[in-house]
Amino acid sequence: MTDRRRINGPPSGTRPPVFAAGADRPAVRPVRQRQPTELRKLFLKTGLIPSASGSAYLEFEPSASLAAARATPTSLIPPSSALKLTCTVHGPKPLPRSAAYSPNLVLTTHVKYAPFAARQRKGHIRDASERDLGVHLETALRGAIIAERWPKSALEITVTILEAEDDRWYGDAPDAHDASWGMMNVLAGCITAASAAIADARIDCLDLVAGGVAAMVYAEEEEEKGGEEPRGRKLMLDTDPAEHRSIGSACVVAYMPARDEITELWLKGDSGGSHEGLIDGAVDAARGAHGVLAEAVREGLSVTN
Amino acid sequence: MQKASSASQTPHLSPAELSYLYTSLALPGAPIRPDGRSPTQFRPLCAETGILPGTNGSARIGFADGTQAIVGVKAEVERTDSGELSGSSSWVQISVEIPGFRDDDALPVFLSEMMREALGGVDSDTETDTGSETGLKGRLVINRRWHWRLYIDVLLLSQPLSYPLPLLSLTTHLALLSTKLPKLKSQGEEDPFFDDDWEVAQNLYPRHSTTVAPPITLLVVSVGENIIFDPNREEIAVADAVMAVSVTRSEKNSSAKSNAEEGNLALKPNPKLKLLSIRTIDPPSRLTQPGVPDAENATTGDEEVAGVWRPRRGGVKRAVVANMVQLVLGEVGEEVLQGLEGFSVHT
Repeated sequence: MTDRRRINGPPSGTRPPVFAAGADRPAVRPVRQRQPTELRKLFLKTGLIPSASGSAYLEFEPSASLAAARATPTSLIPPSSALKLTCTVHGPKPLPRSAAYSPNLVLTTHVKYAPFAARQRKGHIRDASERDLGVHLETALRGAIIAERWPKSALEITVTILEAEDDRWYGDAPDAHDASWGMMNVLAGCITAASAAIADARIDCLDLVAGGVAAMVYAEEEEEKGGEEPRGRKLMLDTDPAEHRSIGSACVVAYMPARDEITELWLKGDSGGSHEGLIDGAVDAARGAHGVLAEAVREGLSVTN
Repeated sequence: MQKASSASQTPHLSPAELSYLYTSLALPGAPIRPDGRSPTQFRPLCAETGILPGTNGSARIGFADGTQAIVGVKAEVERTDSGELSGSSSWVQISVEIPGFRDDDALPVFLSEMMREALGGVDSDTETDTGSETGLKGRLVINRRWHWRLYIDVLLLSQPLSYPLPLLSLTTHLALLSTKLPKLKSQGEEDPFFDDDWEVAQNLYPRHSTTVAPPITLLVVSVGENIIFDPNREEIAVADAVMAVSVTRSEKNSSAKSNAEEGNLALKPNPKLKLLSIRTIDPPSRLTQPGVPDAENATTGDEEVAGVWRPRRGGVKRAVVANMVQLVLGEVGEEVLQGLEGFSVHT
């Protein structure tokens, strides 16, 4: 029986209407305005969540097209998205009595997208890609933390992604390139933010570990039409997947500049033999992020002391 | 409790044993492995293909340490929605089952993501300019409106004694090599119609080809300066860095054209193999118990004392990663692919 006394909403959720752009104003793919080696600006602040022993908030600068679309909206659909995430660190706290003895700090990482973070809604239960990100983050951080100084203790790191990077431009067909390139940017952001939060929680580390992304990008279509030779590949740092039609391969690293060491490396795609250049590019991007990271940690210390 | 780590469970070795293992594996130039293998030598394995009659392709591999895996590949015809001719990675579905782990535990999730990454292949973009597909998903296209959907079910039969990735990857490789799809009778854009004679079914991957092969994922560890392939459980336990490197055969043997495009960045150790992905795996050596040097408190002293085990800290140098990849793309990857090709496949 339906309830006739109240005016009920529709049984399932509704979506706001989205009107397709008219023929007079087709949707335009955002174009990268930065130089190939120019990174997006980062906003990073520590100590925002008082109940956690350490926390950090990270935000990427919106791309030029996104900023323009926000200033003078022409469409309901934003052309691209900018990463926003928070990270909290709880601990070190004693392991539960039932747990087995551990001579080292036991690290657990959770990465969760907020349901509204991406264009496609994410459920409340972590899916495979979120678990995968958690494992990557754990690998990146475990190399930096000096774990044997906290025997029998646990450290919980939780990253909530408020706005995720797109995997591709929304106007492309869903199968156009199906690798999740946006995940790599998200991971780099997670690493940088988690590192700041761990420093905020005063956990001993070898160095602040920063994340960086680089990608081999194929030249745009317009150039391809001119000459029939195969499309050239170009190394770009800190790529926004929405801005590129096809990405050949991408790489994310977690890098400690003081030791010149990589704690996490995730490379995907065929780089045509130039994987070393790709890794070096990602390391350069991580170096850039490290500057901001060190400054944010220093700032956090001067506020509390 | 702490089973969630991506690294396999650490074996219960004492700090003294760990230190002994590490020292012998880190000997400059000539590591001594516990089982006497050379650094690039693989453990003996026995394999068979075509063992499951209900599948399109199947394989079983057993390693000498008693770990075994079975892979079954099943294919279904499905309608393509988007008219895409380059294929989509969602057409390949992988499930990995490991006894003692839940489906959503970190290890099975990580393993299946890693294998999906290699198989799903992000290589469609590179292949469009040559006009042919070497990737798996391109092979699944029947015509503009129909494609094959592949279900790859990976089952580890034994406990994961060592990190099970190479075993699962090699078994999947063999199963895909033995996979046969019914012969197509219809032509062009017609609805697909197949020959019902299984004898004339066609291989998904051509046999004895030097240009195409299913991808393989190899586990490589570094100990000190040395790089070691196919590590067993004890060797992983002391490794400084553990990497999973996926490679496949490349169609472009004479790739001078694309090399010129990339400028002098290109460094091609062997143009026949191409890199698909690299992933770091958390080395279990970070979780081990430190040894306590004589007359010293472990919590105060930080310097390394020779012969006293300390859990590994920090990451891996870029030069080591480059070395690993070069070895995989060089003779080792080729040798593994040829070795697997050598297994007789039931027809």
